[in-house]
Amino acid sequence: MTATATTTKHDFEPKLVAFVCTWCTYAGADLAGTSRMQYPSNVRVVKFPCTGRIDPVFILRAFQKGADGVLVSGCHPGDCHYMAGNFHARRRFAAFRQLLDFVGVDLKRLQFSWVSAAEGGKWVEVVTELTERVREMGPMREFIDLDASEHWSAELADAELKAAYHSL
Amino acid sequence: MTQGQQTESTPLVDPACYAAATAAIRAEAVRLLEAGEVTAVVGYRAGRRAGSAMPEVATTAEAAAQLIFTPGCQNNLALFLSKAKREALPKGKVAVVVKGCDLRALAGLIGESQLKRDEVHVIGVACPGVYGAGADLAKPLAAESLARKCRECKVHLPEGTDVVAGTLPPLPDLAPLEAEELARLEAMTPQERWAFWTEQFARCIRCLACRQVCPFCFCTQCLCDRNRPQAVDTSPRPAGNTAWHIVRAMHLAGRCAGCAECERVCPMDIPLNLLNRKMAQELFELYGFETTMQPQEQGALTSYRDGDDQSFIK
Ligand code: SF4
Ligand code: SF4
Ligand code: SF4
Repeated sequence: MTATATTTKHDFEPKLVAFVCTWCTYAGADLAGTSRMQYPSNVRVVKFPCTGRIDPVFILRAFQKGADGVLVSGCHPGDCHYMAGNFHARRRFAAFRQLLDFVGVDLKRLQFSWVSAAEGGKWVEVVTELTERVREMGPMREFIDLDASEHWSAELADAELKAAYHSL
Repeated sequence: MTQGQQTESTPLVDPACYAAATAAIRAEAVRLLEAGEVTAVVGYRAGRRAGSAMPEVATTAEAAAQLIFTPGCQNNLALFLSKAKREALPKGKVAVVVKGCDLRALAGLIGESQLKRDEVHVIGVACPGVYGAGADLAKPLAAESLARKCRECKVHLPEGTDVVAGTLPPLPDLAPLEAEELARLEAMTPQERWAFWTEQFARCIRCLACRQVCPFCFCTQCLCDRNRPQAVDTSPRPAGNTAWHIVRAMHLAGRCAGCAECERVCPMDIPLNLLNRKMAQELFELYGFETTMQPQEQGALTSYRDGDDQSFIK
């Protein structure tokens, strides 16, 4: 991966995970690299055969394991190597976004894009924009805090419960 | 909201309508078994606690004559008709007693090729409503003891069944408590919603009763039980619970029949049906998709159109 363009030091460097399809976006990112385009090195790219293979649970897992932002990218509609993988993914991610929003996850941390093998420039643009946005937002605390929090336990409200608990 | 003198505690309907449905179910079940048209009738019989009911697989005319329909008949019996669970039933064609909401689940199972329509004889029931979780079964069914889903039910009268047992009495209009709660959550900020759901999910003990009771949770290997690789932490702690609930809602999106069984059986009173309803609502708004009482060839998330919304994609 290329080095960041400037040597500006930021207080917070977000960790981004990009789930990309191998046919379009991965090739696009590769093109950006071989063309020596500069973009933030905050992104970790994970390659899949198709956006249709990117299970929403991967996005969840990335956040739970400490990602501050997630990018999902694949072929433009009509360009899918497997014909319809990205069409199915489009519906699935539309639904998943609504679910995350309903649970209270800030959708600004999650970006979807279509980046073709020829669009090295667009890849740079998308990654740069997401990195800057997430840097502004600061670290994703929600899932980290969740991981550190313990299981709810009921108040030992009445005497009977208390006695039972203390007799253990 | 109230009609005439209807209050939250006045009996909802004349109990005679349940008695009529019971008689019709018994007559049909006895006829089917005696004629050898089916090998079993999956229905309800009285439970041990007065006013309660439990699932029954009747294989003889005597057992069929004991079937009932009461406000205690909460179970969604479509549960027993998925491929794997059907193996526990006698071989051959079976009959099943379904309420409107259960019929949506049955239609969904047919749509997902879990069974064929002609492998089952469907006895629909005209259903005024059933008790909610924790209701006092000693009192007659009233608005206060009615399941939340029944307050907003649009499928009191099943369609497309082989027979319909009973007739529907006039029903009062009731405040849509669940829709109101959903709207309340939607009006919150994401931070407030996160706080709400974190508190709810933290209580989950991962008994997985919600999964066990759902007709659509028929996978032989649940993603949430797998550990190589592990997608969802299996211990009942806030992080894994949150992942479980998000995955469950996602896997049921576009399939859930809204029978609210998952919510009813939850020992920790987690409002699971709010998640189900939210997903159903979004899929309707995005793709005009709804689960119906007729089997559909394709679900909301198993099909696509060229012009689907992609305003969220760069
Ligand atoms: S939702 Fe409708 S069909 Fe289902 S139990 Fe309630 S009243 Fe009956
Ligand atoms: S039934 Fe309730 S407590 Fe049990 S796993 Fe489901 S949500 Fe959690
Ligand atoms: S998710 Fe709940 S409401 Fe939906 S079909 Fe399953 S048990 Fe019924």
